[in-house]
Amino acid sequence: MRLLLAILFTVPVFAQAPAASAEQSPPPAQQPAQAAPAAQQPTQDAPAAPQPAPATPAAQQPSTSAPAAAETKAAESPEPTTEPWITGSLYLGYRTLTDIRGSFQEYRSVVDLGEGPKLLDINFTILDPKKRFFDRIDAWGSGWGDDPYESAHVNARKAKLYEFSFDYRNLAYFNAVPSFANPFAPGGFDEQSFDIRKHILSVDLSLFPAKHITPYIAFDRNSNSGTGIEPWAQDANNVYPVPTILSDSTNNYRAGVRFEYDRFHVTLEQGGTTFKDEDQAYNNTYQPGIPTTIFGQTLSLNYLRQWYGIRGHSIYSKAMLTARPASWIDIYAQFLYSQPKTDVNFSEIASGNFVNLASLLFYSGQVTIGTGAANQPHTTANGGFEMRPFRRLRILESLMTDRLHDAASPLVAEQLLLNPTTAGPNIITSLNYTQFVNYNQQEVDAIYDFSHGITARVGYRFVWGDAQVLAGDLSQRGLVVPGQLQRNIGLAGFTYRPSEKLSVHLDFEGGGSDRIYFRTSLNNYYQGRARARYQVNKSLALQANFLVLNNQNPASDIRLDFQNRANALTVYWTPNNSKWVTLMAEYDRTTLRSDILYLSLPFLNTATSSYRDNAHTGTAAADFVLPHLNGAKLTVGGSFFISAGFQGAQSRPTRYYQPMARLALPVVKNVYWNTEWQYYGYGEPFYLYEGFHTHVFTTGVRITK
Amino acid sequence: MSRLGRGRNACAIALGLLAGLYPARAQDKKTEKPPEYVGSETCQACHEDTFKAFQKNPHHLVETEKKYNRTTQACESCHGPGGKHAESMNAADIRNPAKLRPAEVDRICLTCHLNQPTHVGRINNSHAKNQVSCIRCHAIHQNGPEGLVARRPLEINAQCASCHSDVWASFQRPYQHKLANATVMPLGAMSCVDCHNPHGSVLPFNLQTVNANEPGCFKCHGDKRGPFTFEHAPVRLEGCGACHEPHGSANPRMLTRPKVMFVCLECHANLPTPTAPANGTLGTVPPSFHDLRSPRFQNCTLCHQKIHGSYVNKELMK
Repeated sequence: MRLLLAILFTVPVFAQAPAASAEQSPPPAQQPAQAAPAAQQPTQDAPAAPQPAPATPAAQQPSTSAPAAAETKAAESPEPTTEPWITGSLYLGYRTLTDIRGSFQEYRSVVDLGEGPKLLDINFTILDPKKRFFDRIDAWGSGWGDDPYESAHVNARKAKLYEFSFDYRNLAYFNAVPSFANPFAPGGFDEQSFDIRKHILSVDLSLFPAKHITPYIAFDRNSNSGTGIEPWAQDANNVYPVPTILSDSTNNYRAGVRFEYDRFHVTLEQGGTTFKDEDQAYNNTYQPGIPTTIFGQTLSLNYLRQWYGIRGHSIYSKAMLTARPASWIDIYAQFLYSQPKTDVNFSEIASGNFVNLASLLFYSGQVTIGTGAANQPHTTANGGFEMRPFRRLRILESLMTDRLHDAASPLVAEQLLLNPTTAGPNIITSLNYTQFVNYNQQEVDAIYDFSHGITARVGYRFVWGDAQVLAGDLSQRGLVVPGQLQRNIGLAGFTYRPSEKLSVHLDFEGGGSDRIYFRTSLNNYYQGRARARYQVNKSLALQANFLVLNNQNPASDIRLDFQNRANALTVYWTPNNSKWVTLMAEYDRTTLRSDILYLSLPFLNTATSSYRDNAHTGTAAADFVLPHLNGAKLTVGGSFFISAGFQGAQSRPTRYYQPMARLALPVVKNVYWNTEWQYYGYGEPFYLYEGFHTHVFTTGVRITK
Repeated sequence: MSRLGRGRNACAIALGLLAGLYPARAQDKKTEKPPEYVGSETCQACHEDTFKAFQKNPHHLVETEKKYNRTTQACESCHGPGGKHAESMNAADIRNPAKLRPAEVDRICLTCHLNQPTHVGRINNSHAKNQVSCIRCHAIHQNGPEGLVARRPLEINAQCASCHSDVWASFQRPYQHKLANATVMPLGAMSCVDCHNPHGSVLPFNLQTVNANEPGCFKCHGDKRGPFTFEHAPVRLEGCGACHEPHGSANPRMLTRPKVMFVCLECHANLPTPTAPANGTLGTVPPSFHDLRSPRFQNCTLCHQKIHGSYVNKELMK
């Protein structure tokens, strides 16, 4: 698959015929410094600045052009299009790492970049001047060559005929954090770790056979395959880490048709999924238990074979409607229905020396057979309208109901073996029960434009629902227990934009709950968000974000006190609209405080779970065009994350640094030599053994056309 | 009267009053001489570059397709009649969406894009409610590889982060979904729109849906979808965010707490009683053999490893 994709991407670029591209300007030869996200944005509500014509692929755009520059561009016209039939860039390179100092497992869990030759980035656009089979094909990909994030995307379209898209990702999903498994057993007791590859594929084809009718068909697939270590729990008394083979996949097929007319639109879609999960766990070696001995007997696991054979399938339907029956009202409605089903086949054989503490029974083996099914019809209906009784006033109303029912019938038989030839007691779990979750929401908002620059919004949302879910082990209320949800929420918003230089947005919601599902659910809460942007002058722009979420539950056995604040300040600076330097810097301060009562075991005494997360985060990127080097460019920047620890409260003080520098030197026309350095440094004072740091060097050529 | 009843009545009254005001809308109408359309070729005379670039723009269909009722008038389909502007050459004499109120901008876009699937979620969309107009993300004249809107993960993420800088900061934490981010991580594969639908959704936070009405998380994490024969209630009742910080966290597995036991015990703290607890919440305390002083019991998922749901074990152990 990888080879096929690599060929698919590489061939068109090198097979291109020489094309006239005299008017194209040489693009910068490196990736955009994406720590400067806002720099690529249009100013508030201004049309987005025209991007360079296809002769300058997006991936080569200058990184930190300040908003001021963007605003200036917005007034200009796009470049005339004298395009060659293919444009794009190819970045081939080689990556090497210095020795990874510290925890290699943690490095893989957090960064996971590898060494070797890489197809680091590729993107191209093909235009067919004769428009025979397509008008244009846009394709891009990155990270090929055993990188953790390999991706490929192709989009092709021909006006009035079709649009096709293909997206594929191959992601490394590795996690083996020693402190997560057992904080007091570092390095060697990674009971919960996995090394998985996720393959995610999406293919979509829309056809345009008629003016108002668009049929489409799509296929999606996601699959996980890999290995891991997971705990095998023996009757709640002992846990043994065992190797596992992980394998699951979901296929999703869907097709539909859109009817789009002047007054209304209808989309009808029918789809289905198939699912399989074939995880396995095994063990062939003697493993002592923890605790090792009970009543003088040594507990152990000698042999294990565990198979999951899960098969699932579902059908789903979607119907959507929008309409404008009159010029002053828009309405919409949608009906969504899915019915996933699962069939269970499970078997397990284990031998060793085990104990059932409840009956003080020692036994040497167990055989478990599991079967059953689960059926989960799920219906969602949603409708609403936007009414404009006056030019300045809009009324938005919506109503939603979501009903999920689950009928499960598990049958699990567990046979204990006192010795290989003598059967002991068996335990049979046979259930047939129903769970459900009903959620309803009604909301009304009124938005009024006081003037050209001032808009206010007020609203009200009512949320209610009920549920019946499986009860906990010690429940005295039966197999399933009910829950209820009821919440009244006030909503408000305000936008102030006195000029194109300044904009301020405020957004607020606050609610009170009569019924909630969980102790940590939103109860009496408010959430506010403020966002301001100010263009000081043509060179300098500032943006500030503020967020607060406060949630309280004063119940005597809960005492939840939660508050989260985030403050972010971003600066964009392009001195005098300079072409030789641009700068973006962002600083974010986050504080999270949470206190809630819980029952500490084994004595069920009331204690407080306190959590603090006070963090500083910064990202920056500066681009310098080096004088006298024919357009050579230096980018420096990176990010840092520092969070603090607290006495008497949970916290995970962490330092994570990711500085970087890139140098792009022109070699010949359209060929740049790129050299990159990145440093990854991670440390935790509580778990020193998990720290790591390494230098990553990448060098390669970027060829553009 | 219950709060429910009061709330409903208040809404009904408010809507009734507002609906009653509708006839007043007629007063807003002005009787003016219909403005003149001059056609795109007239625009070309002065805006040659824009005109040429527009030939390859997806919106060029407006120029040629009869279904949009603006044949040869693509420019004026958004900018309004240009007769006066063509005569005076004055920028003030033509509609410039950049200077309009967001609602007015949206109204222009919805002239053509009203009856499309993307419009279904718009009315409930926080973007629209917070006066974020279409052209905040869509560059109407743009004709580059990205077309009208960012499509590559790098550019998508940059676009979203330009407003949501506090969210962007979360992705600088060590445990995160790997967003494409050229500065600190060479090209992760994910983009914001993999999880969020900027045009709105039936789910909170504009979350994407898959399989009609299921959370978009299951598009990649299909093994967590179920249905399981033994479900873990929070997955269905409050979603993944009940235990995970999906953007990024300092805690392993993007959990909300550094120690797993607190993720669990903050909910599993109700004493088992024959009647519902006074606080009305779900989640009973585990049996007391879970001695939290032992490291073995400090990570509940060591034993309860199938925490998202199990096919064979009520205690979610296998």
